[in-house]
Amino acid sequence: MILFLQSLISGILIGGVYALIGIGLTIIFGVMRVINFAHGDIMMVGMYMTYFLFTLFGIDPFVSVLITIPMMFIFGGIMQKLFINRILGSLPQNQILLTIGLGLIMSNSAMLAFTSDYKILTTSYSSSSYRLAGLSISKPLAISFLITVAITAILYWFLMRTDTGQAIRATAQDREAAQLMGINVKRMSVLAFGIGSAMAGTAGALISPTYYIFPQVGSAFTLKAFVITVLGGMGSIVGATLGGVIIGVVESMGAAYISSDWKDVVVFTIFLLVLLIKPSGLMGTSRT
Amino acid sequence: MNHPGILHNRHGASPLAIIAFIAIVALLIAFPGFVESPYARHIMVLLFLSTIMGESWNIIGGYTGQYSVGHAAYFGAGAYGTLIVMNAAQFDQDKLLELKDLAQDSHLSALLLSAHYLHPWTGVLVGMLAALTLSLIIGSICFRLRGPYFVLASIAVAEIVRISVLNLSDLTQGAEGILISDLPPIIIGGRTITDFSTKVPFYYIGLGLVLLTILVTWLVQNSKLGYFFQAIREDQDAAHSLGISLTFYKNSALAISAVLTSLAGSFYAIYIKFIDPTTVLSLDLSVQIVLISIIGGIGTIYGPVVGALVLVPLSEILRSNYLGESLVNSGLVNPDSAVGNFLTENLSHAHVLIYGILVVLVILFMPEGVLGFIRKIMAKKRLGRS
Repeated sequence: MILFLQSLISGILIGGVYALIGIGLTIIFGVMRVINFAHGDIMMVGMYMTYFLFTLFGIDPFVSVLITIPMMFIFGGIMQKLFINRILGSLPQNQILLTIGLGLIMSNSAMLAFTSDYKILTTSYSSSSYRLAGLSISKPLAISFLITVAITAILYWFLMRTDTGQAIRATAQDREAAQLMGINVKRMSVLAFGIGSAMAGTAGALISPTYYIFPQVGSAFTLKAFVITVLGGMGSIVGATLGGVIIGVVESMGAAYISSDWKDVVVFTIFLLVLLIKPSGLMGTSRT
Repeated sequence: MNHPGILHNRHGASPLAIIAFIAIVALLIAFPGFVESPYARHIMVLLFLSTIMGESWNIIGGYTGQYSVGHAAYFGAGAYGTLIVMNAAQFDQDKLLELKDLAQDSHLSALLLSAHYLHPWTGVLVGMLAALTLSLIIGSICFRLRGPYFVLASIAVAEIVRISVLNLSDLTQGAEGILISDLPPIIIGGRTITDFSTKVPFYYIGLGLVLLTILVTWLVQNSKLGYFFQAIREDQDAAHSLGISLTFYKNSALAISAVLTSLAGSFYAIYIKFIDPTTVLSLDLSVQIVLISIIGGIGTIYGPVVGALVLVPLSEILRSNYLGESLVNSGLVNPDSAVGNFLTENLSHAHVLIYGILVVLVILFMPEGVLGFIRKIMAKKRLGRS
């Protein structure tokens, strides 16, 4: 029972960060119908940014989120303007290949600049934990979960309540109709890619105290992001949040009850099953 | 949709093209005779390997339009099949000799024992069979999905294969990988080859496989099968409504592509003599396989050749650190300075960078690949002249 609760709690905590990655991917897909294969690499950029803010300037990784979010937003916006914007109308395969190429450029540039050595960001609280009724809760994971909840809440508020947020949602719902209503869909696309990148970068910042930082760290998270968004339903933000938490829990349960070597196989099997049985995902509306 | 394949499809090749093809092949056959440098031969082998991978993927990706980003699974099947059987066979051979000593005078028992003798090269066949089986399983799962969902599913299955190989360490030696010290002799055309150090055997095996994949692609392109493949690529609903069985033809294309890719994997394994899950089963490899065709030009016979000709030299310049060293040696960059250090230390790590830059450039500026781009320019020139 303790094992069950323990893995449930750590699953939910890491699931919060996964949700953030998934939300970023799903917003980009929703607005542009582009599957961003560079998502994990954008996250990797966020991780390195956090690492250098910490080692060079001594800024705590959780505080540095305040810097990472705007920086990554600008990074994503520029990337959209320079590259993604040019291929919005082309074949889905070409869009995928372009983002794969961008991801390769990011990860290999990181390798060029920082070599493929693993970097570890050690804070004073990296390995400390709270104890609660026989359960131990990792301190950095708990803090990152709280920040995730706060950021997700702000994002919800932004998308639901503000004019810009509604314009983004309208663009996601029907690009042409939104354009006819006088929404600047090009600007919305830049915004969406910026927000998506900021979310991925933030996720990178939040897990950097508990994860190795290296140039290829992205590809594992890109795959995870797909699993999360497909599970929740491509384009659905609620779905991505739910998907993130579910995948977090499945992973930690798989590691506890099957074996940590095989946990990713469990995740990918669920992914294939969802694709085959309900490709629209938990929250998605079916689309042909 | 802009696919160069359908525009340039011709039933027969012009006599000039055939003569050029034969001349190039003859040159390639003569090449090791007058170039002794092992490095030049090594580069040629790498070119052949990339071409084989590109041509193989081209059948499912270029001709049938199903962008599989999980081809590392088939490559790994070939590589692992070959080396696992080769190791087991060598082990059997040692055992056999031991037992032969024991039963020296009894011919009968020696004969009985030789029934257990497994030919070391059967691994290549085992790899092909494994890839074929895998392709049928993957096809039956993934071909229910379309477009981006198919891409994602193919990645997921390949990842499952990679993690399985990593964890089934009794059979595959897990993350350690498999290393072989000596290759068993191979008999080609009545000649027994035991000396692999000159790289010449690999050169001819590679060239043979290149010709084989080109032949298969040519046969596919000029047969009914190929027309069905291309019909599916252009519009699968229309193809379906004309009575073309989507599942059957997609699976056939994948099976052909998978078996050829497994040959590339076997070739890699015996050439490098070391394989592990990160080198032969990773997502990075799957992506590189796709990019060879994309950069050269998909859906054409020579697209992957052009892709390999562009990619291999560029990435080899970075990998071998030729660029960094020549800058230092020429005196342009001081080797002790930060820049010199940076160039010699880091540049070789980033040889895949060139793949990324090229694919972005190709997708943005020449979506039909380098070959399509060259053809376009030539067509324009011809129009200008007339």
